[in-house]
Amino acid sequence: MKRQWYAAPYALWMLLFTLVPLLFVAYYAFTDGSGGFSTDNILRIFQPGYLPVLLDSLRLSLYCTLICLLIGYPTAYFLASRDFSENKMLVVLILLPMWMNFLLRTYAMMTILENNGLINMLLEKLGLDKVQFIGTEGAVLLGMVYNFLPFMVLPVYTALKKLDARVIEAAEDLGANPLRVITRVIVPQSIPGVISGVTMVFMPAVTTFAITRLLSNGMIYLMGDMIEEFFITVNNRNAGSALSLVMLALVLISTLLLRLVNPDTREGRA
Amino acid sequence: MIRKSRGAARVLKGSYLALVLAFLYLPILVMFALSFNESVSRASWTGFTLDWYVQLFHDQNIINALKVTLEVAVIATAASVVIGTLGAIGMYCMKQGWFNLMAVLSNIPMTMPDMVTGVSLMLMFVFVKVPLGKATMIMAHIAFDIPYVLLSVLPRLQMMNPNIYEAALDLGCKPRQALTKAIVPEIAPGIVTGGLLAFTMSLDDFVISYFTSNTDQNLAMIVYSAARLGVKPTMYALSALMFVCILALLLIVNRRSGLEIL
Amino acid sequence: MVQDTRLIEIKDVCKSFGDTEVLHHINLYIRKCEFVTLLGPSGCGKTTLLRLLGGFETPTSGQILFDGADVAQVPPYKRRINTVFQKYALFSHLNVYDNIAFGLNLKNPEALGAKSRSEKKEEIRRRVERMLKLVKMEGFEKRSVDSLSGGQQQRIAIARALVNEPEVLLLDEPLGALDLKLRKEMQVELKSMQQQLGITFVYVTHDQEEALTMSDNVAVMNHGRILQIGEPKKIYDEPKSAFVADFIGESNIIPGVMLEDDLVEMLGVKFPCVDEGFGENEPVDVVVRPEDVMIVGTDVGMLTGTVESVIFKGVHYEMMIDIGPMRWKVHSTTMQPAGSRVGLTVVPYNIHIMRKEA
Repeated sequence: MKRQWYAAPYALWMLLFTLVPLLFVAYYAFTDGSGGFSTDNILRIFQPGYLPVLLDSLRLSLYCTLICLLIGYPTAYFLASRDFSENKMLVVLILLPMWMNFLLRTYAMMTILENNGLINMLLEKLGLDKVQFIGTEGAVLLGMVYNFLPFMVLPVYTALKKLDARVIEAAEDLGANPLRVITRVIVPQSIPGVISGVTMVFMPAVTTFAITRLLSNGMIYLMGDMIEEFFITVNNRNAGSALSLVMLALVLISTLLLRLVNPDTREGRA
Repeated sequence: MIRKSRGAARVLKGSYLALVLAFLYLPILVMFALSFNESVSRASWTGFTLDWYVQLFHDQNIINALKVTLEVAVIATAASVVIGTLGAIGMYCMKQGWFNLMAVLSNIPMTMPDMVTGVSLMLMFVFVKVPLGKATMIMAHIAFDIPYVLLSVLPRLQMMNPNIYEAALDLGCKPRQALTKAIVPEIAPGIVTGGLLAFTMSLDDFVISYFTSNTDQNLAMIVYSAARLGVKPTMYALSALMFVCILALLLIVNRRSGLEIL
Repeated sequence: MVQDTRLIEIKDVCKSFGDTEVLHHINLYIRKCEFVTLLGPSGCGKTTLLRLLGGFETPTSGQILFDGADVAQVPPYKRRINTVFQKYALFSHLNVYDNIAFGLNLKNPEALGAKSRSEKKEEIRRRVERMLKLVKMEGFEKRSVDSLSGGQQQRIAIARALVNEPEVLLLDEPLGALDLKLRKEMQVELKSMQQQLGITFVYVTHDQEEALTMSDNVAVMNHGRILQIGEPKKIYDEPKSAFVADFIGESNIIPGVMLEDDLVEMLGVKFPCVDEGFGENEPVDVVVRPEDVMIVGTDVGMLTGTVESVIFKGVHYEMMIDIGPMRWKVHSTTMQPAGSRVGLTVVPYNIHIMRKEA
C-alpha cells in the first residue's frame, strides 16, 4: 500500500512555506543591500544603537514572565484544588483568552488605560488627578501580562491536575503541615509545568510587537517593533532579517535552556 | 472548626479567581459596553445606540476587510482540511522513522514565533516576485492551519481499530471506497474539529497576515491601523463582533474535543 | 458434514516481512464445510496465514488455490471470504443495522436478486433481520455499536461477515476479549452456527482447549511452520513432537531411547509401548499425559517418587511428584498427601513416542 504518499502535499507545503522561507531570512541576514556576503547586519545589533532595544526586550519579557508566574501559579493551584476542580467552565473561561486575538485584547486594554479611559474616568469622579498611563513601561507590561497570563496558567494547571491527590494526603498523613505539603510536595511536582509555562510566556513576550505600539504610542520600542519598522516602514530587509534571526535564536536558546533544567524532559528522553 | 476554615479558604480562593477573571474579562466587557455608547468621547455614558454597528456595515473598508477575512479563512480552511487529513492518513501509514520526522516537521510552525514566520514568508514572496495580497495571505494561512487539522485527525486515526480499513475491504469495498466509506467517516469528528480550529485561527490571525499581505487587509489589520491613529467607536463594535464570533467558535471546539486541545 | 472436496489449498507458501520470514513452506488444505483451527503461541504466524487467506497480505512465494484457481494476488473485496477481526473492527459511525448491511449495500441490486433499488432495500432488510435473529440480537438495530458489550459486539461482527454469505469465514481470535463463561457459550454457538449454515470456518486461536472443542481439524503452528495437522483427538493422543505435546494439553516429556519395537527405556526403566518403526537405540522423546499416570503402591510401581505438592483443581488433584532425575505432573481423583512415597505406572498405549526435534 502506498498510502504514505498521501502525506506528500503536506510535507511539500511545510517545506515550501515554513522551512524554505527561513533560508531567505538567513540569506538576507548575511548579505548587504547589493547581495554580497556581510556580517554587518548581525554585528550591528550588538552595538550601542540597537543593543538597548534588545536589552529592554529581554528585561520587559523577564518582568512579564515573573509577574505571570506570581499571578498564574496561585490561579492554577486554586483551579486544580478540590474546591474548584469540578468546575470545568471556570477553567475554560480562564484559558480561553489564550486563543483570542492578542490585538483585540490589547485594544480592549487600551480603552481602559487611555486618558479618557475607564480608570481615569473613575479617578476623575473621585476628584483625583488623571494619570497618564499610555506611554509608560507599566502600561506595556500590564498589556503583556494581560495577554500572556493564560499561557502560564494552562501548563501549571495541567501539571497540578496530574498530581495525585493521594500524594498530598500521604504527605499530610506523614505529619507534614499544609505549608510543608505545599513547599515539599506540590511545588516540586509542578516544576515541569512551571517551566513550560515560563517558555510559553517568555517566547511571545520577547517577540511582542503592536502591544507596545498601542499601549505606548511608540514611546516604548522593543525588538518586535524594530523588526516591523525595518520591514514595513524603512524597508531594510537585511537589517530586519538579521534581527529576526537573532530573535529566533533567542527563542530557541531559551527554549533549550528551559528544557535542560526541566526534570521531565531530562529523564523522559532517555 | 475544620469545616469552617475550609469554607473560609474556599471563599478566599474563589475571590482570587474572581479577580483574575475580572482582570481578563473586564477590559473586554468595557469595550462591549462602549460599542453601544452614544457618545464618541467615551468619557461618559450618554445613551444606548446601535449606530456604531450600523456604521460598520456602511464602511466600505470594513466590508472589504470582512470579505477578505472570510474568503481567506474559508479557502485556507478548506485547503488545510484536505491537505491535513491526507497528511494524517499518510503519516498513519508511515514507518516509525518517517513518522517521527514528519512529527518534528509539524511542530516547527507551532514553536516558531509568528513574527518570524510572517517575515520569512514575506521575504520569500518578495524574492520570487509574488505581489503581497490575498493569494500570499491564503498560502501563509494554509501553512499555519494544517498542523491544527493534522493534530486533530491523527489521534483519531491512532485510536481507531487498526482493522477498520481491512474490514471495509473484506466486506466488498475497493481501496478508494474503503477510505471514503469507512476511514473518513470514522475520523470525521476529528476532521470537523480540526477544520473549526483552523477556521478560528485564520479569522483570528493578525501577525502573519500583516506581513504577508499589502494590498488586501483583513479585519485584524484594519483594527491595528485604526488603533494606531487613536480609538474610534466603530472599532469597538468591530472588535466586539469579532470577539463574539471567535468565542463562539472556541466554545464549540472545546465542547467537541474537551480541554485537551486547548 | 465435512465434504471431501478441497475448497482451499495452500501450496508451499512462504511469507517474509523485510528480512524476517514469518511463514516457512506452508502446505495445508481445507475442505468444504470444515471447521479448521490454526493453533499456536503468539508470533507463530497463524494470524499472518489467516491474513493471506483473507487477501490482506500476499505470499512471498507459493500458491493459494480457491476452488482450484490461484487467488494469491486477488484483493479481499473480490474474494468470497469474510473475516471476523480481532476486537471486531465495527464501524463506530454506523449503528448496528448499518454495520451489518454495509457489505450488502455495496452490492448491485441484481446480486441480491432484486430488480430495483427499493426491492434491494427490502431484501437487505430481510437478510439483516435474519442475521440478527441468528446471532440473537433482534431489536438492537438502531443501537450504536459503542453502546454494546464485548459479547454483543462480537455477535454483530459475526453477523456483519455472515450476511454476505461467504464460502469461508475467517475468525481471528474472536473470543479473546471475552470472559471465560461467555467464551464457553460462544464456542458452542459458533460451532452450531457453522453446522447450521454449512460454511467453512478457519479459526485462529492460541487457546488449545478452544481448538480442541470446536474444530474438525487442527493445525498446530510454531515459528512459522505447521507442526501437525489432524483431528483434535488424534493430535491430543498422538502428538508428533514435544512442542505439540506440550502445547496441546499438559504433558510430561521425558528423553528416552527406543530399544526395539514396542519397548522404550526412560529414566533407567524399560517400558512396554505400542510404537513401532523407530531405529534400534534411537533417542526419542516420550510423552506421558498427567491423567495417564496411575498412582500405585511403591512395591508395584515401575517408578517411585515423593509427592511434592498437591493442588485441588475441582475435578481432580494435581500433584507434582519428584522421581529423582525429574518431576512429573500427575492428575488423579484420589489425593496423596505431600511428602508421601508413591509408585507410578503407565500402561503401554498411554506412552507416546516422538522423534527428537531437529
